[in-house]
Amino acid sequence: MLGEFEYLLITAASGLGENAYGAAIREEIEASTERRCSMGALYTTIDRLEAKGLLKTWMGEATPQRGGRAKRMVRVTSKGVHAAKDFYDAVMRVSRGASWVENRIGNAS
Amino acid sequence: MNGIGWPLVELSSKLLERDEREAVLGDLLESNESAWQGLLDVFGLVLRREAGLWKASRPWLAGFGVALPSGFLLMGVSLSVSCTYQRLINHKVYDCWWPTGHEGFPLLLCHTLLLITWSWAGGYVVGTVSRRTLWVSAALSLLPLFTYLCTFRLETVSRLCLFLFLLPATLGVRQGMRNARVSFRLASLLALTITVLMISAWSSKALWIFNWGLIWPAWYLVAATWRSGQEGRTGSWPIDHATYTRVSLR
Repeated sequence: MLGEFEYLLITAASGLGENAYGAAIREEIEASTERRCSMGALYTTIDRLEAKGLLKTWMGEATPQRGGRAKRMVRVTSKGVHAAKDFYDAVMRVSRGASWVENRIGNAS
Repeated sequence: MNGIGWPLVELSSKLLERDEREAVLGDLLESNESAWQGLLDVFGLVLRREAGLWKASRPWLAGFGVALPSGFLLMGVSLSVSCTYQRLINHKVYDCWWPTGHEGFPLLLCHTLLLITWSWAGGYVVGTVSRRTLWVSAALSLLPLFTYLCTFRLETVSRLCLFLFLLPATLGVRQGMRNARVSFRLASLLALTITVLMISAWSSKALWIFNWGLIWPAWYLVAATWRSGQEGRTGSWPIDHATYTRVSLR
């Protein structure tokens, strides 16, 4: 079972597709959670997920915007997709009947 | 990122591995963070990396199993070898050092050889077992030395005598870090030599009981070379990357 931050990272990387790399994933997570994401948390989690076979990383191209520094590109593997889906399903299942979910539905309707 | 802060961030990023440094510095430039925030990010990552290393048993083995106890014991051996030398060559008597105080040249030679081989074997094991935490192991091995120097006054011999073990130990660490091959035969010869010398010193009542603890890096080396010989059929240690991969894939 994934951790919360692991799920966020996989989801952000998956959404970015071909453009998933450190800074872009970080920006995506910060925008979604409205909380700061540290480099330490980001890169150690990427390593951990790669070791579990949920992500694949490689050094990509360098751009002038980055001072000629290479990007660490990220791709979610099929195992990673399954793990994220399992996490999402579990969250949805456990959330059924939760007061805040009912309220949200009530507000929407 | 301002002009003064960036060189600091670049300097601190040297603590990261090359590829990671490249990616992190690029990310920081791209996100246009302040130098202070960049420094925090880099140090945060370095700390996490260092902490991650200590989840394995190897750094503990190298630091607290070899470096710290060996540093303490070898400091004592260095001092006693120096005192024995002074007694035999300059006829100065220091009756408080070493078990008997009546050693002759053969025992001095025996202790000197033991000091060199113990230090080298310990250093080699530390250098091979956990390279990335070497700075912690080095600090731990020097801790007893500096504690002693700060606590006691050494009037009989020069303070430098305490550091005698550092030369062979550093050589061992260096060779261990460079993956210098040690064959099973060489490791066995070293371990047997140390054992025979220790038995000889022990039978002359010129060996402190705790110094038997210094024997284990040499025998660990024998076990490691034997094991790598069994697994990789190379008969030397550390095994090369290709062999490691082959063995891991079995």
